[in-house]
Amino acid sequence: MSNGISRRNVLSIAAGVGAASALAACGGSGGDAAAAVNTETPVTLRFTWWGSDARHKRTAQVIELFKSKYPNFTINGEFKDWNGYWDSLATTVAANDAPDIIQMDEMYLASYAERGALLDLGTASNHLKTADIESTALDTGKVDGKQYAIPTGLTAYSFVVNEDLIKQYNVTLPDTETWSWEDLRAVGDQISKASGGKVIGVQSWGFDTGSVNVWLRQQGASLYSPDGKVAAPPALLAGYWQYLLDLAKAGVSPQPSITIERAAAALDQSGMATNTTAIGTAWNTQLTSYQAASGQNLRLIKIPGESKVGTPGAYYKPSMYWSISSRSKHPAEAAVFVDFLLNSQEAGDVLLTDRGVPGNKTIRAALAPKLTATDKAAADYLDAIKVGPAPRVTPNGASGIEAILKRHSEEVLFERKTPQAAAESFIKELQTEIDAA
Amino acid sequence: MSALGELQRLGTSKGGPPRKRDNKAAFLFLLPWFAGLLLITAGPIVASLALSFTDYNLIQPPEFNGLDNINRMFSDERLHRSLGVTFIYVFVSVPLQLIAALGLAILLDRGLRGLAFYRSAFYLPSLLGSSVAIAVLWRQIFGAEGLLNQILGIFGIAGKGWISDPDTALSTLIVLNVWTFGAPMVIFLAGLRQIPVMYYEAASVDGASRWTQFRKITVPLLSPIIFFNLVLQIIHAFQSFTQAFVVSGGTGGPSDSTLFYTLYLYERGFSRFDMGYASALAWLLLIIIAGFTAINFWAAKRWVFYDD
Repeated sequence: MSNGISRRNVLSIAAGVGAASALAACGGSGGDAAAAVNTETPVTLRFTWWGSDARHKRTAQVIELFKSKYPNFTINGEFKDWNGYWDSLATTVAANDAPDIIQMDEMYLASYAERGALLDLGTASNHLKTADIESTALDTGKVDGKQYAIPTGLTAYSFVVNEDLIKQYNVTLPDTETWSWEDLRAVGDQISKASGGKVIGVQSWGFDTGSVNVWLRQQGASLYSPDGKVAAPPALLAGYWQYLLDLAKAGVSPQPSITIERAAAALDQSGMATNTTAIGTAWNTQLTSYQAASGQNLRLIKIPGESKVGTPGAYYKPSMYWSISSRSKHPAEAAVFVDFLLNSQEAGDVLLTDRGVPGNKTIRAALAPKLTATDKAAADYLDAIKVGPAPRVTPNGASGIEAILKRHSEEVLFERKTPQAAAESFIKELQTEIDAA
Repeated sequence: MSALGELQRLGTSKGGPPRKRDNKAAFLFLLPWFAGLLLITAGPIVASLALSFTDYNLIQPPEFNGLDNINRMFSDERLHRSLGVTFIYVFVSVPLQLIAALGLAILLDRGLRGLAFYRSAFYLPSLLGSSVAIAVLWRQIFGAEGLLNQILGIFGIAGKGWISDPDTALSTLIVLNVWTFGAPMVIFLAGLRQIPVMYYEAASVDGASRWTQFRKITVPLLSPIIFFNLVLQIIHAFQSFTQAFVVSGGTGGPSDSTLFYTLYLYERGFSRFDMGYASALAWLLLIIIAGFTAINFWAAKRWVFYDD
C-alpha cells in the first residue's frame, strides 16, 4: 500500500500543479486544496456527470443555487448519458484536460484513483466536511486508505413493475415478497401472451454488474475475491446466462436484437420507460426517472428468490460518487462546491434521491417529508430489503466489465456461445484485464 | 525527364543573389505547412512509434516493455476478430462501391439533361457519409422501429433490429459505405470525359456491341482511374471509424460483429487505458494498409493501361 502511494506521489508531482500542491497539503504545509477559497475574482469550474434529463434539470438548478451564494463562480456542466460518459472522461483525463468535479462510479473508482487521476479529498477537509456522512458509506469511497471519492448516496438493485400494464392485461402478480425466479418467468410469460406480443413481460438484463452480483450472491458466491481476483464460479455464471436465454427463447423477454438495441439506448428509451415491457430491473433510485419517462404507474418490487436463500443477493451500492481531478487548478473551490452538493440542505432539497438516498444523515432526515411519491418509494425500498455486505470495489483494470459482460450476453442471446462457454470466456477475459492493469 | 533535368540544373547551379531570395520566399511560404506537418503529424507519429514499445495507461508515464505488445497481438482473439470484420468490410464494400460509382458515371456520361444536378445529388452522400449525423440516421433507419421495418411492415414482413443483430449489423455498414459512391463517381466521370469519342465511333462502325465497347475501350482507357479509386477507397475503408462507432454505441457490438480495427484500437486506448498497445495496433494498421497498397501497385502492372 505504501509503495503504491509513494509512486503516485512522485508521479503526481511530475504531473501537475494541482496535484503537487495537494500533496504538499498532505504534508501539513497547506497548499491549493486547503487554501482559502477565492471569493473575489472569477473562478471557472467544470463539472461532469451522466444521467437522464430529470437529473440534468435538477443539477442545473443546484448550480444556480450555488452561484447565488458564490457570484464569482462559473460552473460549466458537461453532462452525457452513461454510454458516452466514460470514453469522454478517459479522453479528457489523458489530454490533461479533466473536468474539476467528476461524478464517479464504483466500477471506475479504483482505475482512476490508483493511477493518480483523483485528488485525495482528505487534503481538502477544510472545505469539504464529511462529519454527517455515515462512515460505512464513506468507506466505499476509499482506495488504499485514502478518500478519493465521497458517495452521493446509496442505492440497491431492484425490480420494477408497471402496474397499469399488469391491470390492463388482467394478470395477477405473485406475492413479490416471496417470489422466485420461476414465478417471474411465469408471470412474464402471461403478460407476453395476454398482450399478443405488444407488451413483453420482462425486460432482459445481462448488461449491468448489479444483475451478476445479485445472481452470484444469492448462491453464496461473489464476483471478485477480497484481493481483487475474479472469483465467480463458471457454473453459476452459466446459470445466469441460461436463465436469460430461456426467457428470450420463450418470448418472456424481447427478441435479442430488440433487447440489445434498448440496452444501448438511454434510460428514456428502455422498455420500462416506453411502456413496452411490464417488468424490468433498475437501481431503486432510477424509479423517478423511469416514472417520468413512462407516465404510467411504476412500482419497485423485490428481487426474485431473495426470501429463499441464506445469503441475500441485495446490497447497498454507493449510487455514485463525487470526486475532484488531481490536476484541478482550483481544488479548494471545487471542494467547496462538492461540500455544497453533499452537505447543504438547499442542494439536498433539489437533488432529493436522484443520486441515491443521501448518505448525509441530517439531509436524509430533513428530506423525508419533501420527497415525491417515487422518491419516497425509493427510500422505503432501501429500508424494506434485507442486504448482505457490499461487494468489493471493482479492481483496477476491471472497469471494462460491463462491455465484456454485454458482449458475452449478446453471444449467449444470439446463441453464438453456450452459457457454459460464455462463462469461461468471460472469467478469462476479465482476469486478463485485471492482470494487465 | 526534361523537367527533372531542369530541376537538377537548378539544384546544382551556383545561384546568384536573386535566386537565393527566391528560395527564401519559397521556404517562407512552405513554413506553415511544414510546421503543421512537424507538430500535428510527424510529432505524434514518432511518439506513437515510441509508445508502441511501452505500457502506457494515459495517466502515469509510459514504461518500456520491449516487444510485449507485439507478442500480445498473436494471442489477442479480439484483435483477430477485428481484423476479420475489417477485411470483410473492405473487400465487400469497396468493390460494390466502385461498381456502383462506375455504373452511374457511365449513365451520367450519356449527356443527360440536368447532369449537374444529378452529379451533385449523387455526390452528396459521400460528403455526408462519414459524418455522425448520417450514422445516427442509419441507426434510425435500421433500428427495430426504424424506417426499413416500417416499410417492410406495409408488406406484412416482420422486421428486426438490423443493427443490433450480429448477423446483419455489418451489412448495414457495408450498405452505408456503398451509398457513398459519389466521390469515386465524380472521378470516374472526369476520366470518362478523357476518352476520345472517336474510339467509340470507330468501334460502332465496326459493329462492336455496347458491352464490347465497354470491355475493350472504356475499361482499358479508364483503368488508371479505376486503379486510383481502388487504392484510395481501400485505404479509406480500412480507416473507417465513425459509422461503426456511432451505430454500435462505441462497442463494436452486437457480439463484436462491427468491431472495426480502428474501433478496437480506440477501445484499447481510451476505454481500457491501454495506449501502449493501442499505439502498436496503429502501427500494425499502417503496415497492413501499406502492404495492401503495395500489392495493388504490383498487380496494377498486369491490368492498368497507360495511354502515353
